[in-house]
Amino acid sequence: MRLTTTGSPSHPFGSVVGILATEDSGRKERAREIRLVAPGEALTASNLAGYRGLLFCNDGPESRSTPLIQRLRESDHLKDGDIVVMEGATGLVRSLYRPRERHHHLFVTERCNSNCLMCSQPPKDRDDIEALTVRNHAIIDLIDQPPSYLTITGGEPTLLGDHLFGLVSHLKAKMPDTEVHILTNGRTFAWPVFTRRFAELDHPNISLGVPLYADIPGVHDYVVQAVGAFDQTIAGLHQAARNGIRVEIRVVLHKQTLPRLLKLAEFIYRNLTFAEHVALMGLEYTGYTPLNIEELWIDPFDYRDQLEAAVEFLAIRNMNVSIYNHQLCVLKPSMWSFAKRSISDWKNAYLPACEGCSALEECGGFFQWAVRKHSAHIHPIEADRVREILNVSA
Amino acid sequence: MGPASSPAQATEIALVQFDRALFSEEVVLKGCYWLARDFICEIATADSASIQVTIKPRQSSSVEALPFAKETLIQSVSDFALREKIDAKTSGIRDLLLAKAFSEAGVLEDAPTGTFGDKIEQENPQGMFKILGSC
Amino acid sequence: MARTFFPTEKYGTKPATFSLLPFRFMRLNSKELLVNEAGEFLFAPSGTVQDLAEGSVPINSELYLDLKAKHFLYDEASSPLFDLLATKIRTKFDHINGGTKLHIFVVTLRCEHSCDYCQVSRQLTTRGEFDMTPATADRAIEMMMDSPSPAVTLEFQGGEPLLAFDMIQYIVPRAKRLAKERGKLLDVVLCTNLACITDEILSYLRDERIKVSTSLDGPAFLHNRNRPRRGGDSYEKAIEGIQRCREVLGHEGVAALMTTTAASLEHVTEIIDEYVRQDFHSIFLRPISPYGFAIRTRHRTGYEMDKFVEFYKKGLDHILEINRGGYRLAEVYSQILLTKILTPHSTYYVDMQSPAGGAWNVLVYNYDGDVYASDESRMLAEMKDWTFRLGNVHRDSRASVFTGEPALKMFEASCNQALAGCSDCAFQSYCGADPVYHYATQGDMYGHRPTSGFCTRNMSVLKHLFSRIEENDRDVMRIFWSWITGSAPRTEAALCD
Repeated sequence: MRLTTTGSPSHPFGSVVGILATEDSGRKERAREIRLVAPGEALTASNLAGYRGLLFCNDGPESRSTPLIQRLRESDHLKDGDIVVMEGATGLVRSLYRPRERHHHLFVTERCNSNCLMCSQPPKDRDDIEALTVRNHAIIDLIDQPPSYLTITGGEPTLLGDHLFGLVSHLKAKMPDTEVHILTNGRTFAWPVFTRRFAELDHPNISLGVPLYADIPGVHDYVVQAVGAFDQTIAGLHQAARNGIRVEIRVVLHKQTLPRLLKLAEFIYRNLTFAEHVALMGLEYTGYTPLNIEELWIDPFDYRDQLEAAVEFLAIRNMNVSIYNHQLCVLKPSMWSFAKRSISDWKNAYLPACEGCSALEECGGFFQWAVRKHSAHIHPIEADRVREILNVSA
Repeated sequence: MGPASSPAQATEIALVQFDRALFSEEVVLKGCYWLARDFICEIATADSASIQVTIKPRQSSSVEALPFAKETLIQSVSDFALREKIDAKTSGIRDLLLAKAFSEAGVLEDAPTGTFGDKIEQENPQGMFKILGSC
Repeated sequence: MARTFFPTEKYGTKPATFSLLPFRFMRLNSKELLVNEAGEFLFAPSGTVQDLAEGSVPINSELYLDLKAKHFLYDEASSPLFDLLATKIRTKFDHINGGTKLHIFVVTLRCEHSCDYCQVSRQLTTRGEFDMTPATADRAIEMMMDSPSPAVTLEFQGGEPLLAFDMIQYIVPRAKRLAKERGKLLDVVLCTNLACITDEILSYLRDERIKVSTSLDGPAFLHNRNRPRRGGDSYEKAIEGIQRCREVLGHEGVAALMTTTAASLEHVTEIIDEYVRQDFHSIFLRPISPYGFAIRTRHRTGYEMDKFVEFYKKGLDHILEINRGGYRLAEVYSQILLTKILTPHSTYYVDMQSPAGGAWNVLVYNYDGDVYASDESRMLAEMKDWTFRLGNVHRDSRASVFTGEPALKMFEASCNQALAGCSDCAFQSYCGADPVYHYATQGDMYGHRPTSGFCTRNMSVLKHLFSRIEENDRDVMRIFWSWITGSAPRTEAALCD
């Protein structure tokens, strides 16, 4: 699904964040809204007054005060209530928050102190923190219906330092019941002062999602391309636990992480017993992954036994374990009940080989980009077989 | 390298000699301790270079078990010698670990080490980790 | 622009040497079993310990990585994570945290049974010199609540405590009131043979949320032989009592314990089957307490314990078979030891701890106000040996009980870390110290491991369990874990392979 479009800014302005509106919802609301004007809509100056910004599919009127972008290339994806940003410098219009979706993110920085081989969002050495922090506070202000879940992601969110604490405090004040999940490499939490301050924010529904790729430093540090990262992450997880911060462990399955996967499961159980969830995730063929594919790719069908062993190891120990980004037809049937449909609405797709499959509803399908790189064993599953498997695991 | 053993002088006893250069009195004693249910071990200093153990069964019925007892003793003394070696290398760390384990949380904790920042962070004299490091 | 990627050599730096972390080892099944200070273990090929001692484990081997991941060694390529290991050690010793949790009240010595294995009961039916008085109860409740533990368990024992039901009715509300005042959680357990249970008593137990623990030694012929009473109907009374308890208190409201006598040794499968027949989901294969008879047969207890070990092994096989068949039945002792071996957690079973549970985790308040370190200690006292009488509720405070000479003497022999034979045993982290047992059987609180029944039993049981763990049979491990977690085992059928 489309998230960006471009047009021509009427005059120079900075970044404007607002709620997209396709019709007039009253003068009081206009100060928060960005009005999208459809082709052929005839509006007077007073119809357009008071909006935070204006978007025109065709040519718009001259504007020197209200930020305006005209001749948008695409507008079908823009829906009422979406929170969007208009960039005066580039004419870019980006959807930041769409209330109808299940998955919501606050993207807080492109900076990162790691450089994972399979990063789906390759980091940049450009200081974007101040600007994105302003934008994210604006988004939080504009969310009317607090979502059930919200993920803070980057880059590495802890590089925000005080700004991260500010965002978490804002979320706590505005939507305390929203479950906030921070995707972090956990390294910064090794600093007791940082972790204590984070804990003192006392957000009632917050947890960390921290990747761990091996039970030994060499492999983990290679995967994240940072010397000492393993030790820092382990120390960070322990500081978090000591301060009562909930954590999830995330493992991406690939050529580097699979050989010691069962031993990693054992390490997690013995050393990180406090983890409230362990997510075993399939590789995403995007970002850095295509660049490093030789170092990463193993057909999920070929590691299904290792995956089952690790999942069972954790499950019999009452650890909460899930499998993400895997198609049911390449998993052992015993693993179906652990597989979660985690792929974002706008990311998932199916292959021609999926045609006639009776498990589509239960299956997560593919990331769109996975259409280019996927298991050689994707196949439809017959209805009887699906019923049989679902009955037994129920 | 193994302990020298001499043939038993009588069928009712077994003799084992341990080279002092390889085995301390302590480890020989520990080995003998575990035979004590069924055997009596007499420990003597044969000469300045070795320790001699005489193994006698507690009950005459255990005479057949003497070769096994001897083998057990040799293995067990070697293992205690290994333990002694490991203990010598690790007792300091054990003390440290126990002190850390039973001190108030955080008191004896090590400060984080290594590089934490990205390039921008490292180049910033006011970087967060520099501030954290000086707390 | 993408940043640069560096090859694996930059991160998996091969260290020139490595350093050892403290561990203990033993030889088992042609392998070496290594156990570190946090109770984490590794089966390694024979010769590994020698290589470790000499620094010659190949640094690029899988074994090296395993040893490193499980904290048997560290090297300069990464931090030693001492704080992580220290936290794990602290977690394993959680049982010493918080103070005495279990408080046993012996409200009377009177009993209508006359079991051979009981050292304490008196065949009297009227209240008198062997009953606890209200004044003694008041002081005992005070001392119990002086424990710093935020949660305490009050367990009524005897004799048959139901013969002093009025004293139970006296103690419960007072204990509850004081617990509330002190902000403590209070659990109440009644150990009874159920022979004298009545509807009135059952309603009371239900209303006061008191759990029942009873004795079931096996099928009728064995139970009645072990537990004689007038009428020879101990078994029938127990079974009827269990049914009535379940009706009123719910199925989980009553638990049963068995004692293995010489007569039991040949009947382990029948005993276990009886537990299944009575719909129990746990059974504790318990050896007889050696107090009394063992003193007369000192050095022979070790051999007698061998028989128990055979009984246990045969029983465990049978129990595993029953679980494979789909009926969930946990063996409690194995469950406790497996929890020690396989989990990072501490266990709170007072008879298998170091420091020993006596006083730290359990105190016994006898009918006459004397305070003992354990149930076994007061049995010794019944044989006129007051070594483990730590004080009396009328004369002592919790502090003076803990600092009196009997307690201090006992504490000296309470840590297996400092006992001959235990100090370098690979099983130290999983085992305990038992000064009372060793004093009773060997006349010496420190004990002599090669002839100790305690050591024979635990060494054998632990070796047996470790062998099963090393076999790593999928079904057996699933069953073991179902005992540890208390969840239903993920059976092969449920996993639909």
